[in-house]
Amino acid sequence: MGMNRRVLAVLAGAAIVAGIAVTAAFGAHRATPGVSASTITIGGTFPLTGPASLYKTIPAAESAYFAYVNDHGGVNGRKIDFKVLDDGYDPSKTVPLTQQLVEQDKVFAIFGSLGTAPNLSIWSYLNTHKVPQVLVATGDSYWGFSHKAYPWTIGYQPDYPGEAKIYGQYLDANMPTAKIGVLYQNDAYGKNYYAGLRVGLGAKKSNIVSAQSYDASSTSVVQQVLALKASGANVFVVFALPTQTIGALVTATKVGWTPNATIINNVSANPVFLKIAAANGGNVDGVLSTNYLNLVTTTDKNTAGAKLATAIISKYASALDLNDSNVVYGLGAAWTMTYALKKAGKNPTRAGLMKALKSLNVADPFSYPGMKLQTSATDNFPSEQLVFIKWGGGAAGQWAPFGKIYNHVR
Amino acid sequence: MLGLAKRKTAVSTGLSVPVLLLLLAGAIFLVIGSLSSSIFAQQTVAGLAQGAIFGSLALALVLIYRATEVINFAQGELAMATTYIAYQLTLWGVSYWLAFFLTLVIAFALGVVIQVVVIRPVQHSVIAVVIITVGLFILIDGLVTWKWGADLKFMPAPFGNAVYHAGSVAFSRQDLGTLIVTIFSVILLWLLFQFTKLGLAMRAAALRPAAASLVGVRVNRMLALGWGLAAVLGAVSGLMTEPTQFLQPTMMQAILLYAFAAAVLGGLESPAGAVIGGLFIGVFLNLIGQYIGFATPELRLPMAFAVLLLVLLVKPNGLFGRRQVRRV
Amino acid sequence: MKLVPIGVVVAVLVALPFLISGYHQGLATYVAIYFIAILGLNILTGYTGQISIGHGAFMAIGGYTTVLLSADQHWNLLATLPASLGISFVCGLIVGVPALRLSGVYLALATFALAVSVPQFPLKFSKFLGGSNGIHAAQTKSHLWLYVVGWSCSALAFAAAWLLLRGRIGRAFRAVRDSELAAVSSGVSLPIYKTLAFGVSAAFAGVAGSLLVLVTNGYAQPGEFGVLLSLEILIGAAVAGLGSLWGVIVGAVFIGLLPSVAPDVPLIGSAHGQDVVFGLIVVLIMLLLPNGFAGFLRRFEPRVKTTIKSDPKTS
Repeated sequence: MGMNRRVLAVLAGAAIVAGIAVTAAFGAHRATPGVSASTITIGGTFPLTGPASLYKTIPAAESAYFAYVNDHGGVNGRKIDFKVLDDGYDPSKTVPLTQQLVEQDKVFAIFGSLGTAPNLSIWSYLNTHKVPQVLVATGDSYWGFSHKAYPWTIGYQPDYPGEAKIYGQYLDANMPTAKIGVLYQNDAYGKNYYAGLRVGLGAKKSNIVSAQSYDASSTSVVQQVLALKASGANVFVVFALPTQTIGALVTATKVGWTPNATIINNVSANPVFLKIAAANGGNVDGVLSTNYLNLVTTTDKNTAGAKLATAIISKYASALDLNDSNVVYGLGAAWTMTYALKKAGKNPTRAGLMKALKSLNVADPFSYPGMKLQTSATDNFPSEQLVFIKWGGGAAGQWAPFGKIYNHVR
Repeated sequence: MLGLAKRKTAVSTGLSVPVLLLLLAGAIFLVIGSLSSSIFAQQTVAGLAQGAIFGSLALALVLIYRATEVINFAQGELAMATTYIAYQLTLWGVSYWLAFFLTLVIAFALGVVIQVVVIRPVQHSVIAVVIITVGLFILIDGLVTWKWGADLKFMPAPFGNAVYHAGSVAFSRQDLGTLIVTIFSVILLWLLFQFTKLGLAMRAAALRPAAASLVGVRVNRMLALGWGLAAVLGAVSGLMTEPTQFLQPTMMQAILLYAFAAAVLGGLESPAGAVIGGLFIGVFLNLIGQYIGFATPELRLPMAFAVLLLVLLVKPNGLFGRRQVRRV
Repeated sequence: MKLVPIGVVVAVLVALPFLISGYHQGLATYVAIYFIAILGLNILTGYTGQISIGHGAFMAIGGYTTVLLSADQHWNLLATLPASLGISFVCGLIVGVPALRLSGVYLALATFALAVSVPQFPLKFSKFLGGSNGIHAAQTKSHLWLYVVGWSCSALAFAAAWLLLRGRIGRAFRAVRDSELAAVSSGVSLPIYKTLAFGVSAAFAGVAGSLLVLVTNGYAQPGEFGVLLSLEILIGAAVAGLGSLWGVIVGAVFIGLLPSVAPDVPLIGSAHGQDVVFGLIVVLIMLLLPNGFAGFLRRFEPRVKTTIKSDPKTS
């Protein structure tokens, strides 16, 4: 009897709570999720803490751009509400947080979520529920190539193998007798790059005299750099994350290895990192990489995009540093999102957003001048142009672009 | 209550002859190898430089273990936090070495405060201390990220960026400096424990608390001192790590794992053992990575821990630990 | 009398999915997962006095078992659960044998080594285990399905633990914990029971790992089973205290829901603020409620010198 009464009491209490919840839910606007008369709600997950948290300037810059848009009338009269959640780069956290965004916060779209594994963990979930997973911050090839099976997903940046292919073509054309030593991270990220390099080298892939991998958990890449030096390599190609890239550049100098050319991948080609490497004794002058962003603080500083970037960051996120290319990246991604939301029309739908993102043909101010974002129903790589850049000036130095713009990088 | 007790009877201390021979053989192997192959020599030198860093953090772990027979899982984070303090001091215009020593003082205070405020109340329980240090790990990480952010920062290089060449082997002043600082720390500790009254009191407080307090040693004060000293060593370790890992909240996390292996290899109680353990782990991982194809980088951590497990199972008191008699 | 609170809990759990949204069902499933894992750790730590900071490793083994059987062998997801239970049990036994020789901080370090090393193997053997991009199970399940399966497993786990611990095995476990000497002299085989406890505990963790993969949209990736997971389970067990149903639920709710709730805390709504809150709560709980967890903690004061230092009633 006592038990029954208690059960009843609990059930009654729960029913009241549920009743309130249900009433509230039905009272709400029932049109397109995330779109009200005054706001469009979007959200994404990012590593704000943990080993990958140096990317957290990306959502910060994106928030700054959306704040700027909101102060200038928003998108077709609606303000953008951008929810940033921290998954620490752990897919088992990405999933519940994304579900929170989709099911609780009722976002219109998942925008810019960062990392390959985190995005893979929500890939099928978002596509099953027909929620846009757009402009994801990862350069894996999945996002561009799998658009038939996953029509609600689209990437943003040039993909890794495509970028590496260009390095291969460059070495093939300019240093046909080079002895190439490669350092790459031992996961899909590094292996994708390495595979792309071999494709780009074509018949010259036998020029690779040694390829060493390192584990993301390791504390140094000294052992690998030494092995590369001992292999007689005279071109050093680094496909690593920023910390290890800095370590590799510094270590090469410290062990007395002076290759004829050093190439680093664009993820790590952030001026902030090159400066750290130089300050710690790394010889960074002449290091090569590629770029697709506006070089806001240096060679492109007189472009309209650079001026806009400077104005936005100084007003809305003055703690951010425009030398950090992740900040420019964030502005670019947010610009693209805003553009697509506008194109989706006065009464945006999720399908409309995807359509807008799959028919881009526009030059965005935060991309390298002369580059365009281009997509179609069959081309799901928004940004697929790259230009070579070369570092000069040591710790106080900067990137200088050179040569032609490479198109259709993939 | 005696169930899990590892009652200790100090039967022998420090080095035994077989261990000494083993070390000698290892050293000879490294010398011969280095003379016959330059890549071997270069990998060994690089391994020693890495190992010195593992060893310096392992020293801090050992000091805590000696004082309170627990493992401080927050040791690496504490080292990281104190390195950020040094960074902040240099930002304020303090010169590197002044900042270095100021940081050691701050670290000492921090270690003592942690022991007194959060460790002492629960020090009767290993699990409680372990969980508290796990909590501190998360807490310190959060506080540092809050204050300084998670982006890469760096400090001026303490020993400069000069590179020396000996034959075909190159090594940097930084590596040399780290090695010297680590060995210097061990010698200082050894002097402290062997030749000062304070050191004796600390050892007594750790080994025989009841007896020590009977003869007038303030046991609690000595244990707090142990934590303070450990924090100082941790700060040294953090500052020596900074030039290779740069300043970021995660800088000591992987180092701590290797330091565990180093400390266990050295016997968890022996400062010299911790450093030699660290050097061994550093060289071992480099050489095995260079010469054994299967030992790819993803196995570096598992291999370090294989060493740890092997030591625990075959010779639980490590290379330099005191022999313990276990009574069931 | 004990049946009344259990009946209430069961009634609430049965009623809950009708009352809350799918998203909240998902959150409740996380609680179930941590419940199973913490219950398993409690059997090991609370009942035989062996510490483990490596249960995330067993969760990884369970999780990868499920996803491999589903992706490669096209097993029904439900059928993979007993398989992961069995495999984790065997792995637990294998770990339990060397663990016999270790205790206290040594066992803590050894199990920690396990937690750090196991997630490296999918990277090493990426051809079979998917590497850093992980593996997707053949299908994903709804919130309700996961809720029902998660809490059914919890109920089964709880019943199994209860049956196990109230009988002969439970008495043997407790004898081992309270005094190995006395246990041996009364005919309890230490190696058998200590190893068995490791196996059972690992089996629980394995099932929890399978469920964790299932709620992660059937996606297994090494990052899900990092060191933090092992630490979280240990913290949950510490918060839980002695192996009571209520304790384990509290621990599971703490670990499972705090990360979802903390971001809404004003002032510290940020990510690092969440770390600060989590760390602070852990430290404060251990400091302010030591007596509340005395039963749990008492297993860990085996050392002679602490017996001298601590208050007389514990010796």
